[in-house]
Amino acid sequence: MRQLWTMTASDLRQRVRDRSVFIFGLVVPLALMFVFNLTIGSTNDVALTPITVSVSVPAGDQLAATLVAALGQVDAFPITVDEVSADEAGARVRAGKAQLAVVVPDGFGEAVRQGRPAVVDVTEGNGSKIETQIALSVMQGVLDHLSASAVVVNAGVRSGVAQARLGALAEQAATVMPTVNLTEGKASSEQLSPSGALVAGQAGLFLLFTVGFGVLGLVAEREQGTMARLRSMPMRPGLIVAAKGLVSYILGVVATTVLLTVGSRFFDVSFGSPAAVAVLVLCAVAAATSLMFIIARVARTAEQANVAQSILALVLGVAGGAFFPLGATGLAGRVLDLNPIAAFTRGLGITSGGGGLADIGAPVAIMLGFAVFGLAVSRLVPDRGRDL
Amino acid sequence: MLVASDLVRRYGDLTAVDGVSFHIDPGETYGLLGPNGAGKTTTISIIAGLIPAHSGTVTVAGQPMGPREVDAKRSIGLVPQDLAIYPELSARENLAFFGRLQGMRGKPLTRRIDEVLDLIALSDRAKDATKEFSGGMKRRLNIGIGLLHAPTLLILDEPTVGVDPQSRNAILESVEALSGGGMAVLYTTHYMEEAERLCDRIAIIDSGRIQAEGTRGELITLTGGLDYIRLTGEGQIEAAATALRGLDAVVQVVADRRLLTLTVRDAPAAVAGVVTTATAAGMTLGEVEIVRPDLESVFLHLTGKALRD
Repeated sequence: MRQLWTMTASDLRQRVRDRSVFIFGLVVPLALMFVFNLTIGSTNDVALTPITVSVSVPAGDQLAATLVAALGQVDAFPITVDEVSADEAGARVRAGKAQLAVVVPDGFGEAVRQGRPAVVDVTEGNGSKIETQIALSVMQGVLDHLSASAVVVNAGVRSGVAQARLGALAEQAATVMPTVNLTEGKASSEQLSPSGALVAGQAGLFLLFTVGFGVLGLVAEREQGTMARLRSMPMRPGLIVAAKGLVSYILGVVATTVLLTVGSRFFDVSFGSPAAVAVLVLCAVAAATSLMFIIARVARTAEQANVAQSILALVLGVAGGAFFPLGATGLAGRVLDLNPIAAFTRGLGITSGGGGLADIGAPVAIMLGFAVFGLAVSRLVPDRGRDL
Repeated sequence: MLVASDLVRRYGDLTAVDGVSFHIDPGETYGLLGPNGAGKTTTISIIAGLIPAHSGTVTVAGQPMGPREVDAKRSIGLVPQDLAIYPELSARENLAFFGRLQGMRGKPLTRRIDEVLDLIALSDRAKDATKEFSGGMKRRLNIGIGLLHAPTLLILDEPTVGVDPQSRNAILESVEALSGGGMAVLYTTHYMEEAERLCDRIAIIDSGRIQAEGTRGELITLTGGLDYIRLTGEGQIEAAATALRGLDAVVQVVADRRLLTLTVRDAPAAVAGVVTTATAAGMTLGEVEIVRPDLESVFLHLTGKALRD
């Protein structure tokens, strides 16, 4: 055990001194997080600003009032509703005093009740932004709802319903709550915010580089001649491999923890339960380290090992959503699900949505399964370096 | 101290070590002399427990040696041919690291590190990172690490390769001093003069086999008292070699580009005829050298090729 710790401590000291682990394990991923957040993040994390909507509504028209009232229920950003005359509504938009004008014609409510066509005029201001589109979408939803009453009236006429009853039916169709609703379920809450996905993805991607500083040191030891001396020491050869694995594990855990912590602070992301996140980190590092054992086994030179490591890191990182979310169905989807980096980010999605230790069983199982699989493969593939 | 019996190691179709057997007594310096690719490093790797032999056995201080044998490894100190040191660590840190792996701790380790640093003349650079060291300093530290735990068998694999003459001499002096201290030394080299200077007994190894073994004097008698004449020149080298083979005094001629090495009886008497014959055959002589029997001569006699090939 003392020999194991002696080798581990010495390796960590050397990694700290040559600084490359800081550069590739912390500086580069943090820099990339900032760069990607400036590009991807700025398009996804839109800050919505208040808008003003000028409306003209016929006095006493309840259905028209319903249409306007819907604007006040938007809580994503403030909407100021100015009730003005029909002429002034358009003029205010042209003058830049409002971003949207809505003119509801006289007899709108009566037309809806009788199942007749009705037209609502809207005018968007120059440089219309997403807030205007949202307001229009909200009103379109209300109009779609109201148009249902027209269908009811027409159906009533064709069915011979009494004229006195048609108005009540139309109003009921226009105001009744829908019987089918969308409820935000657990799958939705597993989605990380764009910034959160960026931090998690980059941490996962660079984890595969960081753990290489430990296990792939076996290849470097072989090249620089120290492996022969280590193997002549009075200890089991397996201790050398165990020490490298331990170095990988420590570096991976420290670097990933720092990246998640710093990333969450800088980009205002919360990954949720620290205990659950810690378990995810431990499992992800185990999976990534097992992969490095395979590379160390098959690579003859440090150059070969670095190339193989880069390819695997990029493939698993990109497939795990390090740069952008990736989705697939069928067999491809199931294969992507087995990617430990994807499992790691998915697990962080669960914890950031409020999930705890009991909710991360699937990603943990995938990562631990991958770790076991990687270690098993590393024992089966030919040892081209004859060290492990 | 060391007994190696009938060692065999193959790499695919190549038999790198083919039935090698020898022993080393305490306090003895034993040399494995042979050209590159002769099987020296593979033999040492088996003896140091780095790789297993496909057949044969090694015992060190009575303990069986192999890759998973821990007890036998306590008795050996290995100085690999490659510089087995960590460039980011200082000389003292390198020594401390390998000392701890040998089970040394605390003040005894610190005291021994100081002794070794003195021995390899690196005390004043003990705290410097070894990546700043010259090649000779690295070589000395490489040896110092092998000596740190005072092994009973020190294994040196071509420790002077790539070293300047001054450092080389310092290394050879260090090894000479070690054998005086009772340590058994296994020394591989392809430099004849190193083997002659350091080794009590020498095994000449080629193509994975020990061709001959004994003291320097015993090995030289294998040449049958024959001398050597070396001719260096230009022109019709092959024609000169053919003509020289016809002389009564010439036993063997080996041509190597501009060099002809002749095994002859009574070189001083034969040299005039050799020069006349070579010149007449069209060879323009640049240098003529009479060589009395040495280990190179023995190697040439046993294998029919020069040691540096």
